[in-house]
Amino acid sequence: MTEPGGQIRNISNHFSNSFKTTKDERFRIGWLCTYTPEEIILSAGFTPTRILGEDRVNKAEGYFPINFCPYLKSSWESILNDINKLSAIVFANSCDGMRRAYDICKNYKPQTPSFMLDVPKINTGASLAHFSNNLSELAGFLEELKKSKIEFVTLKKSIELVNKKRTLLKKLNYYYSEFDGLVDDPDFFDILKLSMISEPEIFIQDLCAYLEKIAEESATIEIAGAGENNGFPPRIMIIGNFINESKLWESFKELNCKIAVTDLCNSSRYYEGLVEDKGNASKNNTIENLLVTVAARYLNKPQCMRMANLGIKLKEVQENITNNNIKGVIFFSMKFCDNTLLFYPLLRQHLGETGVQSLFLEIEHNNFSEGQVKTRIQAFLEIL
Amino acid sequence: MGFAENIKETIKIQIQKNLNRDYIEKILGIVGSWPVLPVYGMTFASKSDKYLNIATIKVIKKAYCKKYPVAYGSIFLPYELLHSLDLVPFLPEVMAGFTAGIGIADKTLKEASARWYTPDLCTFHRSASGAVELNLFPLPQFLICSSLACDAAQKTFYIDAKKYNIEDNFYLIDVPYKKTTDSIKYLASQLEDISASISKKMGKKVDIGKFKNTIRLSNEFRYWAAKVNDIRKELLIYPKNFNGLSFILPFHALAGTKDAVVIYKNIYFELKDFLEIQKGSSGNKKSGSNIKIKQDIGKTKRILWLHLKPYYKNNIFEILESNNYRVVFEEISQVYWPELDEEKPFESLALKMLSHPLNGSVENRMAAILEMVRNYRIDGVILFSHWGCRHSNGSARIIKDTLKNNNVSTLILDGDCLNKNNSSEGQILTRLQGFMEIINSKQS
Repeated sequence: MTEPGGQIRNISNHFSNSFKTTKDERFRIGWLCTYTPEEIILSAGFTPTRILGEDRVNKAEGYFPINFCPYLKSSWESILNDINKLSAIVFANSCDGMRRAYDICKNYKPQTPSFMLDVPKINTGASLAHFSNNLSELAGFLEELKKSKIEFVTLKKSIELVNKKRTLLKKLNYYYSEFDGLVDDPDFFDILKLSMISEPEIFIQDLCAYLEKIAEESATIEIAGAGENNGFPPRIMIIGNFINESKLWESFKELNCKIAVTDLCNSSRYYEGLVEDKGNASKNNTIENLLVTVAARYLNKPQCMRMANLGIKLKEVQENITNNNIKGVIFFSMKFCDNTLLFYPLLRQHLGETGVQSLFLEIEHNNFSEGQVKTRIQAFLEIL
Repeated sequence: MGFAENIKETIKIQIQKNLNRDYIEKILGIVGSWPVLPVYGMTFASKSDKYLNIATIKVIKKAYCKKYPVAYGSIFLPYELLHSLDLVPFLPEVMAGFTAGIGIADKTLKEASARWYTPDLCTFHRSASGAVELNLFPLPQFLICSSLACDAAQKTFYIDAKKYNIEDNFYLIDVPYKKTTDSIKYLASQLEDISASISKKMGKKVDIGKFKNTIRLSNEFRYWAAKVNDIRKELLIYPKNFNGLSFILPFHALAGTKDAVVIYKNIYFELKDFLEIQKGSSGNKKSGSNIKIKQDIGKTKRILWLHLKPYYKNNIFEILESNNYRVVFEEISQVYWPELDEEKPFESLALKMLSHPLNGSVENRMAAILEMVRNYRIDGVILFSHWGCRHSNGSARIIKDTLKNNNVSTLILDGDCLNKNNSSEGQILTRLQGFMEIINSKQS
């Protein structure tokens, strides 16, 4: 695997192995939404790799209207350019844009098989059963592609592997959010990016070594913590959709604040929450039972704004604010993301009632206006 | 402007000046009363419009009068369910169309902007949200929406529920992506649960007898709607001001009521008269009196309209008709669902929802479009590309290319259904003219 766009240079010393490809490059499955179960892709013998949408839109412009998700347009550009050389792509029924992106891919890139994973918008017993069936369908698609069946043991191991990755990323987040200056903002997000595109076994090894190193360094640094600020910069929460702008994170290095909580498609909504076997799967040794545990993890993880009950999302946000002594919330959204943009009026009202300041920033994907955004954040931090 | 038009214009202006829920209720109370309502109905040139407007006023008045439990519903709900529960439906998205029609969309959109709804969002939902914030809509007891066909309604409905402090009475029907045995079961169970939950909150049990009757009425409405659609396969001359895109409310929200049956039965017989005139076989001189058959019907170009239309005053359809182009059908009027089974009401309604062409892959929509192109002998298709409607506009490329492969020209007409400031009349005229030239040259 080549180093993506030269944008992850700072951590490459610690994660040099993660940039390498050891597995057959022919068996890579692209995915776009965090509701896509990597563990099932792995168990089928494929390497899951997130399509990051880092290509400048050129050919893709003609396929979608102007006011359409820029992440999906960029992703389609990558797909058209065969950048990742994928065996197949798994889409999730996360939003209107994703449904249309799947249609476009199926129509205009039929040589790359694509699969639409239907993800429920509600979290009930019935939706869990329905989602488990859909995961079974995904498994069938991958088996057909690889011409081999997924075994119970393989799926169980894949679940354990991805769970381990999640646990380590959560630990990384602890060091990032609790220790001032221990993990840089750009490094944190670069490592997260790498976690979504590299082979998990290798990435886990690199991340373990990295965490050991920063654990040693942490012994000498005071915890910024969730207690009183006492001279520490104000703790802020970032919430939004897929915010993959290196320049933005570079900007934060120079700002007087501490990002204590991140609630993005490329942060906590990716790694929070484990697949938990309540005991039944082990006892019954069936793939169907394992798929139910996988389905449960995805339906119960920190919610994307696509889910129906925004009340639950507000509750999540409030808990994060309370538990992490958050002074202000910065709401980032790519343009034209209806699910995210329609959450903001509700969030703003709620935050207003609880006395927490918020800043709304709509940003252009792959066309980041560094100066403007930095100025607005600085002004916001001054209010805090 | 005639006397009736003057009255309607005066009512519009008064609503604009007295923008509050109570005033709207007062106006509806007057217009919707007897004998005013039947007289109001008589001001319309055609029977179709008359019954449409009478039924519309009736249901909206019922929603405002505070005597009945009201449920906000998104457009593609199975309204048979609501009628069986004696809930009065109120459709914010459809009412948003009315805000444009009565000239208050500027105010509702401005209010939405002030409440942090970005201008990139669909104006149907923005205007509806603005109207809710301005306290223009009746107070609901329930809010029910489905994930069919777009994301926006699900969010705005929840926000409305929070504003009214009835989050526990917000229901989202999660419509699966594909139509399978499992998905029908999943969806049917949701409908049954919602029905039980609402009944419990209303202090009563689900009345299966009433439900069956609602299903029967829905089937009867479906029968007449299908007959109307059949007539339209041949019809090229229509009653004055007839536009199939104006019948969204009865077609969707009144399914399962006697009113829907009455409307579509009357439309059918009226259009049947026009068809007879068109064929030159009718001796009905009275219905001929309003018709000026100037065009050469044999050369009339047949247009299929996709998505919706601008609901403010515009001249799109005049331009088409003056050039001998006729919108002979629109996708919103397609009878896309099979007859409902009153013995399995929840499963039938689940199947109805899953059969909608806008659900799931664009392949479903495309199959429906191609069927309409065949059935209505379409010369050209116009897809109105409403600003912010990503689920529809995201399909534009596929629709255009597929129709091209079937030798049908497509015009993607950029505009805004509600916000006339976001639509360029000049540009629309130019695009229409270009489109008509292409079709004319193809034909010659």
